[in-house]
Amino acid sequence: MKLYEYQGKKLFKTYGIAVPKSERISPGKKRVSLRAPFFLKSQVLSGARKKHGGIVRVVRASEFRKASARLFVNAIGGERPRHLLAEEEVRCARELYISISYDTRTRSPVLVVSRRGGSRILPAVVFPIDPLFGLPDFTVRAAVAALEIPSGGHVSSVMHSLWELFSREHALVVEINPLFYFPDGRCVAGDAKVIIDPAHGAPEARRILPLGGDIAVLASGGGASLVNLDVLMKCGGRPAVYSEYSGNPSADVVRDLTKRVLSRPGLKGCWVVGGRANFTDIFETMRGFVEGLRRTSPRPTYPIVIRRDGPRQEEAFAFLRSAAKKYGYDLAMFGSETPMSESAKIIVARAYTQ
Amino acid sequence: MSILIDKKTRVVIQGITGKEGARAEREMMRYGTPVLAGVTPGKGGMKTSSGTRVYDFVAEAVRRHPAINTSLITVPAPFVCDAALEAICADIPLIVILSEGVPVFDTARLLSVARLCGARIIGPSSVGIISPGRGKIGSIGSSESGAKTFSRGPAGVISKSGGMASEISHILTKAGIGQSAVVGIGGDLLIGSDMRDLALLFERDPDTRLLVVFGEVGGEYEVLLADAMRQGFITKPVVALIGGYFAEKLPHETMLGHAGAIVGKGRTTARYKAHALKQAGAHIAETPEDIAVIARKILGRRKK
Repeated sequence: MKLYEYQGKKLFKTYGIAVPKSERISPGKKRVSLRAPFFLKSQVLSGARKKHGGIVRVVRASEFRKASARLFVNAIGGERPRHLLAEEEVRCARELYISISYDTRTRSPVLVVSRRGGSRILPAVVFPIDPLFGLPDFTVRAAVAALEIPSGGHVSSVMHSLWELFSREHALVVEINPLFYFPDGRCVAGDAKVIIDPAHGAPEARRILPLGGDIAVLASGGGASLVNLDVLMKCGGRPAVYSEYSGNPSADVVRDLTKRVLSRPGLKGCWVVGGRANFTDIFETMRGFVEGLRRTSPRPTYPIVIRRDGPRQEEAFAFLRSAAKKYGYDLAMFGSETPMSESAKIIVARAYTQ
Repeated sequence: MSILIDKKTRVVIQGITGKEGARAEREMMRYGTPVLAGVTPGKGGMKTSSGTRVYDFVAEAVRRHPAINTSLITVPAPFVCDAALEAICADIPLIVILSEGVPVFDTARLLSVARLCGARIIGPSSVGIISPGRGKIGSIGSSESGAKTFSRGPAGVISKSGGMASEISHILTKAGIGQSAVVGIGGDLLIGSDMRDLALLFERDPDTRLLVVFGEVGGEYEVLLADAMRQGFITKPVVALIGGYFAEKLPHETMLGHAGAIVGKGRTTARYKAHALKQAGAHIAETPEDIAVIARKILGRRKK
């Protein structure tokens, strides 16, 4: 779960990391208590906000309303901000980069620093952290040296605070880019990127990721779903979404997911695909799928191709056949005798020739 | 010969009274892998329906059954760290973690202890390990479909995905290529044994003549395998299928099917991984079915 900048900065403050003076702006707000010039920053989760016009410098207070109205309608990475952050302008000597995240090379947390942060970041130096011992002083000293700044400033305490935050809040990533560094050794976090481990918080709802195409995909299996989307695209198919249901989902879960995926406009086909399941009850999942179909309006008339195998498959297919007849769905079913990639070709052929 | 499993494999299941644990027990016994004991705190003294004794502590189970050399962990995610620590402290050298959704910080601490103590961890989120016809640890290959899916032979399979481990094995079996062992390493961000670790084990296994690897977008485990190949540590042929090319269209940091399948840039993309492996001499499969075609060619060539 990724936090918005303003949420991340609130956490920073709790852990003793200085942030610029700021104010959160909701739509319709007419004035700001900050003195101009200040920055207005779009609160979206996507990176590269600056490049996409999500960060604006407001020179006179009178420009605020126009600037904020523009930012609120500017979607970045498909996302429109619900809030802006007005933030005092920081004039500084240098912009550094500091983060803590996980590295699959060392299979441990790592502290990463670069002596030039911002959008044109210089190559970083990586320091592994043993989570049993936490962030040791010698590593902090080495990281400060790598930043080419004098020891004794606030940077080392920022690193310690960042580790506290990372370990206690179960973060996957905490990143300060840029970290404003003043000649007197003080530091202020210019941005905050915080991603919390979803395994730690409440489980997230099954997400549907839009891909812009016209074939609805309901895939099962964490790995198989990725392979299947790749294959679909290789066959010339344009997936509308990525959605995945794994494990042994109840019929209700599949029903809701089906309804959400099929409610998208402009669909030309639907592909239900999964490998040969070990334990997933295929009958249950297909019952959920049909329930989802029935609750989708208008009634799906585009071709539906199902490739699924596993426990209770024959029952499931008999049920699907009778449902197709009863409600008039254009449905084709395949078991594991038909390779998954073959069924990709079938859905592409059917979806795009009708 | 095989890797990780042999005739001496004796298992304790931590969390044996839960749904996953009970199923794994049943499945493993049916496959001929002895489960000597189970552990569920507070349920010591009980017996499972197949007659396996349940203990409160791993140390107690090991004391009563000194032949135990493997632990299968099926406890709920928040208790995995403690359970694995208990197994390490009881000197169990191989720990397979089936549980999904383990916090990454817990895994990181666990891996650090395991390194210090010399224990091998497979997982978290591992579907298990099977050596066809010899034995299995975990829930891989249900008894109904297992016989059709797996067969004994020369391919060592390493997969981040449990489903793809079965799918690939099934495809190989249909093509007449059996497996020396199939290992689900789990799709988490941090895992106890990565592709390179297992490839090194397969490299030393005389029964294994080629490696089949399923990787995906996120992390650098595939790149580390490529490095090991380039450095000459892996000399057996490698066939790899990488999933998630399409993810290039998605915003960074999006998490796909598995917890470690995080969309990013550079070395963590499917494209880069496939490229690195190819450069290192691996054969890249475009579809799952491709794997069997390539494997056939490799094995045919080698026989001559």
